Amino acid sequence: MRITPGRKITNILGAELNKLVTLPSIWLTISGTFILNLALAAAFTSIGQQGAAGSQSILDIGLATMGYLQAGFILLGILAACSEYTGGQIRSTLTVMPWRGLQLSAKLAALATITVTAALIIAASGVLYTLFMMRDTAAGAGIEIDTMLKALAGATGYLTLTALLSAAIGSLLRRTTPALVILLGYYFVISPVSGDALPGYFPDKAGSYMYMLSSADKSDVLTPMQGTGIVMLWTLLCITAAIVLYRKRDA
Amino acid sequence: MRAFQAELSKLLSLPGIWLAVLIGAVAPAFIAALDSTAQKEDIIAGISTRLSEVGYIGLAVGVQGVIILGVLAVSSEYVTESSESGGGQQITTSLTAVSSRLQLLLAKAGAVTVISLLLCMVAILTTVSTTQLILGEYAPAFAWSKLTGAVCYWIFTALLAFGITVLTKNGVIPLTVLIMNSSVVSFSFLLSKVTTLAFYLPDRAGTDMFMIMSDRIHTPFTGGLIMFSWVAVLLIIAAMVFHRRDVAA
Repeated sequence: MRITPGRKITNILGAELNKLVTLPSIWLTISGTFILNLALAAAFTSIGQQGAAGSQSILDIGLATMGYLQAGFILLGILAACSEYTGGQIRSTLTVMPWRGLQLSAKLAALATITVTAALIIAASGVLYTLFMMRDTAAGAGIEIDTMLKALAGATGYLTLTALLSAAIGSLLRRTTPALVILLGYYFVISPVSGDALPGYFPDKAGSYMYMLSSADKSDVLTPMQGTGIVMLWTLLCITAAIVLYRKRDA
Repeated sequence: MRAFQAELSKLLSLPGIWLAVLIGAVAPAFIAALDSTAQKEDIIAGISTRLSEVGYIGLAVGVQGVIILGVLAVSSEYVTESSESGGGQQITTSLTAVSSRLQLLLAKAGAVTVISLLLCMVAILTTVSTTQLILGEYAPAFAWSKLTGAVCYWIFTALLAFGITVLTKNGVIPLTVLIMNSSVVSFSFLLSKVTTLAFYLPDRAGTDMFMIMSDRIHTPFTGGLIMFSWVAVLLIIAAMVFHRRDVAA
């Protein structure tokens, strides 16, 4: 039986999507991130209500949880990539789909479809909660739908790209714990502690311009599009490295 | 004693331990170096507001090394081998060799404590010498009481990570939560702005042992005591759960 190339790609994509959707830890991570994000949004909102009215916009408060939120998506990417390597599932995968580059690309595409949806829902829930709680304050008066949509789109894009980047690193390292430690260590320790010592074109700093629209009062900031481009470049770089190595390496 | 030696040997032969050692021993010095270089001019001019924190900030971050240590010590026992090698878990072998569960847990906790202690000693040595090297005569004096506080903080944190992982059996969640919490964007720091109760959380109370924060409310001793009671309660719960739980469950 001959299968057309288009059909083949659909089948592979379907299989990868099916594998991801049936992974319990993916759902646990997404729902855990969702609940945690709401709790943190509540905490930030309550801090915002205590503070001077109007000093921060609702978007800033609603998206203040992004710093924590990215951990959930890092975990998501790593789990998607590394679950193949616990218990030798990778050998079954490669028996059925011997086209390694295609298989990994399809896995990342499947991951992206899940992350876009999850990121949009989670980021929007945080912003909406803040909006709902603070609509009566001075900060709530001047909110524009356009800006909000732009910031939400940026946040979704950033979280998706972060998940893809983590998945690429995960499939490079093939083990959950080292990948997790390295990525969390970079995003939460090295990058914040080193402050301005690192230039602004590292993935997390460039990425923050994708959703922090109102911080455009400094001279050296990037536009959201520039930020997106830089994060995309990092992600593509890591994915390329992952695919090249995946094709060459013994599974 | 033989159980303790066995645990020590198991812990030291884990591949992940080298990551923990690297982060625990080298990262504090690196961060202290960055921080000292950044603040050197302020300190020499005598206008630095954070003189007392220089160096200790590295120790507050390097604690991630012992978090990894505490988590890995337990989660490695529960990793399921691939089906090709039997699909077993190391914990069944460990409990066959040391059938008293309490003894196994104590031996493991002891091994984690000893390695954290050594790691913290090394971290203090590298951090203090780095700070001295960069700041020279302007380096702050490192008081013994505060360094002891840092050692206690590291050991308690390792035991907290250990206890939490005994309860969850899987290393991913404790690792994520604890690493995030020891970073700049920590949950407890956020909560401490919402309610003062958050100052009684183990890490906020514990940092009072060696960092002088502007908004601290505990003395170093009470801070240590609070953190110690968290550790004690958690380990008692962990011991009870571990004692009663079916290994295969």
